[in-house]
Amino acid sequence: MSENQNPQTQTDTATTGTDQPLTTTTGESVEQTRDEWREYEFEGESKMTVENLDVYYGDDHALKDVSMEIPEQSVTALIGPSGCGKSTYLRCLNRMNDRISSARIDGTVRFDGQDIYQDGVNLVELRKRVGMVFQSPNPFPKSIRQNIAYGPEKHGDLDTGLLARLLNRSDEEERDRLVERCLRDAALWDEVNDRLDDNALGLSGGQQQRLCIARCLSVDPEIILMDEPASALDPIATAKIEDLIEDLSEEYTVVIVTHNMQQAARISDQTAVFLTGGELVEYGETDQVFEDPNSERVEDYISGKFG
Amino acid sequence: MIAVPRKEYRESLAALRSEVESMGTAVLDQLSRALDALERDDQKLAREVIDGDERINQRYLDLESDCIDLIALQQPVASDLRFVAASFKILTDLERIGDLATNLARYALAGRSDEIAEVQIQTIGETARGQVRAALDAYVDADSAACRAIAERDDELDASCQNASEAVVRELIAGESDRWEIERLLDDVSRLLLTIRDLERIGDHAVNIAARTLYMDDGDPKLIY
Repeated sequence: MSENQNPQTQTDTATTGTDQPLTTTTGESVEQTRDEWREYEFEGESKMTVENLDVYYGDDHALKDVSMEIPEQSVTALIGPSGCGKSTYLRCLNRMNDRISSARIDGTVRFDGQDIYQDGVNLVELRKRVGMVFQSPNPFPKSIRQNIAYGPEKHGDLDTGLLARLLNRSDEEERDRLVERCLRDAALWDEVNDRLDDNALGLSGGQQQRLCIARCLSVDPEIILMDEPASALDPIATAKIEDLIEDLSEEYTVVIVTHNMQQAARISDQTAVFLTGGELVEYGETDQVFEDPNSERVEDYISGKFG
Repeated sequence: MIAVPRKEYRESLAALRSEVESMGTAVLDQLSRALDALERDDQKLAREVIDGDERINQRYLDLESDCIDLIALQQPVASDLRFVAASFKILTDLERIGDLATNLARYALAGRSDEIAEVQIQTIGETARGQVRAALDAYVDADSAACRAIAERDDELDASCQNASEAVVRELIAGESDRWEIERLLDDVSRLLLTIRDLERIGDHAVNIAARTLYMDDGDPKLIY
């Protein structure tokens, strides 16, 4: 199939199945459908809009002219072989690449309509609203409680508000309510509520990763970026993280880089495929990408046909 | 692209394709022999067809299990997934065509099918068989154009079956047979109507095979819905 001949996916052809023998359509209408080009348009609002993004590390052109809209309250998976630029792309979304001195970034990244690369953007504020979870769990060597409370305390978010004062709650009570809420949201509360003052490094790998997600939630982000969050975990811990990602997407916008294509297929609403050379080759609804990709190169990559 | 990895997986996919083709050929053979048994009123051949269905059913179960293994162990995606999903469905259609061939053989055992000269069972049978043959070829060659042609030709088969059924009923009404003659004809006529209906169903299964093949070949689900 050439890249310009895109059969329609189920979106506009699905009807209810019946037990009747198959009905047929004229060849003409089938041909017409095959030749229609369907740009990927998702339903709902765009949380982040990336336009013509180029990233260079010195002379290396790591990401080439990437444009992509990320819908809110959904899971967007970024897949592709090592070195294809997917992690570079992810790090552009909260300006983590600014920390690499040789990196140069062209293009625009809009977050709720605002260009995050324009002068004067408060990076602390940006990274609070666009949080990140890394491949290896990296809790602070502090208690479970302090891991969650650290961010809000630094940001000054734990100052007792009017409501708490009216209800006569202390700062400690406010903090503990937040700790409980975040641990519950990260599906960890039931496993750790009797040892909140234990050192976080004593938790299992899967628990540490969920603690890192809880820590990310504590500063009330809108977008959560995840760079292979389950690659160091066993299947059960991975399943818990995957369930969690699905739950989180009801409230947050999740963008996840993963090497595990089945994981991308399982948990994401839309999938972007980057291929070697920093090119975004295909972006669409996950079921379409895995069932009937438009690009032959994507077909070969996800079927494991690349040597 | 250099050497294609996942050798065992590639070999399993290729084996599935040739096994489905081979089962299809066996089903076509059953169908041809059932039609011959009807034409020649050959009771021995009819019994062979009925006995042969067990082998078709066993192959169906084995290949169904192969498809499930492929999905569970290799997790196919994209065109590989469409191929396995289409094959899985096509196997069911082939098995059903095998059952319908057995029905035809049973009708041959029960009596003659040429009581009404206007109804050309062999002609309709050959059309239905031709559709199955074409659908199997389209599957093996992944030929989308052939799939669409099969779907279009089904209307002709449906029309032939409709005409034949009407001819049977007309003959029954118009015939000047007395009451006893009608009683005698009743079994033959019912059987003839069932034969026509089963041939029409064989054609429907051929269209199902074409529809799944079209989906397999270029992701077009149009004929399925």
